[in-house]
Amino acid sequence: MKWLGLGLVAVAAFLGGVVLGPVHVPLAGLAASDIVRTLRLPRAVLAFLVGGSLALSGAGLQALVRNPLADPFLLGLSGGAGLGAVAAIALHLASPWALPLAAFAGALGATALVYRLALVGGGELDPRVLILAGVAVGAFAAAVTTAIVSLSDASELRNTFLWLWGGLSGASWDTVLVLGAYLPLPLAVLFAAARPLDLLALGEEPARHLGADVEALKRRVFVAASLLAAVCVAVSGVIGFVGLVVPHAMRTLWGHRHRPLLPAAFLGGGALLALSDTVARIAVAPRELPVGIVTALVGVPVFALLLRRWTAS
Amino acid sequence: MERRSPLRTHLAVVVAALVACRGSEHASPSPRGGAAALTVSDDAGRLVALAQPARRIVSLSPAVTELLFALGVGDRVVGRTTWCDYPPVVRLVPSVGDGLNPSLEAIAARRPDLVVLYRSPLNETAAAQLTRLGSAAVVLRQDRLEDVARAARLLGRLAGRPAAGDSLADSLSRLLAAPAPPSGRRLAFVVWDNPPIVIGAGSYLDQLATLAGAENVFHDIGAASAAVALETIVTRDPDVIVVVSDSVEPRPPALARRPEWRVIRAVREGRFVYLVGSLFGRPGPRAGVAAAELRRLLGQLTR
Repeated sequence: MKWLGLGLVAVAAFLGGVVLGPVHVPLAGLAASDIVRTLRLPRAVLAFLVGGSLALSGAGLQALVRNPLADPFLLGLSGGAGLGAVAAIALHLASPWALPLAAFAGALGATALVYRLALVGGGELDPRVLILAGVAVGAFAAAVTTAIVSLSDASELRNTFLWLWGGLSGASWDTVLVLGAYLPLPLAVLFAAARPLDLLALGEEPARHLGADVEALKRRVFVAASLLAAVCVAVSGVIGFVGLVVPHAMRTLWGHRHRPLLPAAFLGGGALLALSDTVARIAVAPRELPVGIVTALVGVPVFALLLRRWTAS
Repeated sequence: MERRSPLRTHLAVVVAALVACRGSEHASPSPRGGAAALTVSDDAGRLVALAQPARRIVSLSPAVTELLFALGVGDRVVGRTTWCDYPPVVRLVPSVGDGLNPSLEAIAARRPDLVVLYRSPLNETAAAQLTRLGSAAVVLRQDRLEDVARAARLLGRLAGRPAAGDSLADSLSRLLAAPAPPSGRRLAFVVWDNPPIVIGAGSYLDQLATLAGAENVFHDIGAASAAVALETIVTRDPDVIVVVSDSVEPRPPALARRPEWRVIRAVREGRFVYLVGSLFGRPGPRAGVAAAELRRLLGQLTR
């Protein structure tokens, strides 16, 4: 029943993204319309995949560091991606293709640095150090970003901030292809880690006793979740909220078992971002809202409702 | 950026001639009265009083720099921003850096008796600080052609050239009142590609389109600029995409090769017009030249 409901919401959100837009396209003409085939369809696919990946990445990281506040961006990724993008703009490399690649490089660089820092205490990946390292690297990247921005001229600065806000305007079948190339492996790694993550929730010692290779698991999950978030940042900028709140919302319905939680987070995140993007496109047409604003406006009330139901039961 | 096009050289000659004319026409001495002979109220609602016409002026915006030269007082400009590039001779004037959030020390070092700032909250603070440092500071809105006309009158008075200021303001008002007959050209100004940002009715560029006899397809958006969905541009179906840039080489922007942009007819057909920021991107005394040039560029495109 829960699955049917979530599935229906996901399908409806996706179809809404294809059917609705600032421009009216008659239902009969949907398949033949250039607007639908070249603009709306890849954008809806992109929204769904990015939202799902961010939520899945958040769910994985929250389990990994056993901290409900963890999300891809607390761990320094947004800082790294932002720095990569700003550096590209400052070096006048800001073509539509170079910008995501630079953000991707920045996010991966930050990930590597955070990972290395978290290993400082020895061979083990300490969740607490991981969060501290993420915050530190994020702050460092933000400082360098601000330095570059304050030294560059006003129009470049504005453009950088627009990009950092996040949005799906860059959607095309090319960007969907980029996602298609990068997503399957980390998605598969995370879905496969569902059972061991359940064991990890009991604590590292018990998990070890129950036969989980805890160190290998932590590395796999961290790298896969980071890669997911980095790819998302690369194609759509920094979209907050989804990775943090969707996993919690899904926990209120599916509990803490990762076998159902991870796919539910993927579907829920995808549905939320697809729905939010549709609202962003049509709410103030012909103008468009930054999608990050809408994810929070749509997501917070839904989350509050779920939270109330959950605490009541 | 440094390569000077024949057009710009030609414009330089025209404006230099204009400056010379104004200079001789209005050489009469300025009115002199009591202690504060010249008092104006600026666009931030501040009262600015000068005991005598300004002799050493720091201009903190490219449009004001052009305006001062057009008023025939270019020789009194003792400081400019990094972005002031017209008339070309202004490059000989020392730069004080940026016009937004300016360096007060660099300005004070030029010992100005008048500083002209672009209107923004940060600059209003800077203006108050400059006043405390002993330089009169005037804050002027420079977003639309009407603003420039008003600034011309006001700066004319502060520089002791009220007649030159009024005549320049009147010529700008006449320009605004008599746009070229509509040519039926429909254009969209695209200033950024992701998210797509276009120019709306609040911008000077929208005025320029009207003056050139063209129609901005996003004239219904009241703001100066706004993010829009690509499909909205597809449906508005402009004849031409106008790109404003600082680079001199006109070449198709990167968006022209992106599949999602190629759904737009004008992009698919390569119908772009390139405008150089220094002439088109700022409202100023060359607005008439800019409008005529835009009209010419649009006329060159085949239907």
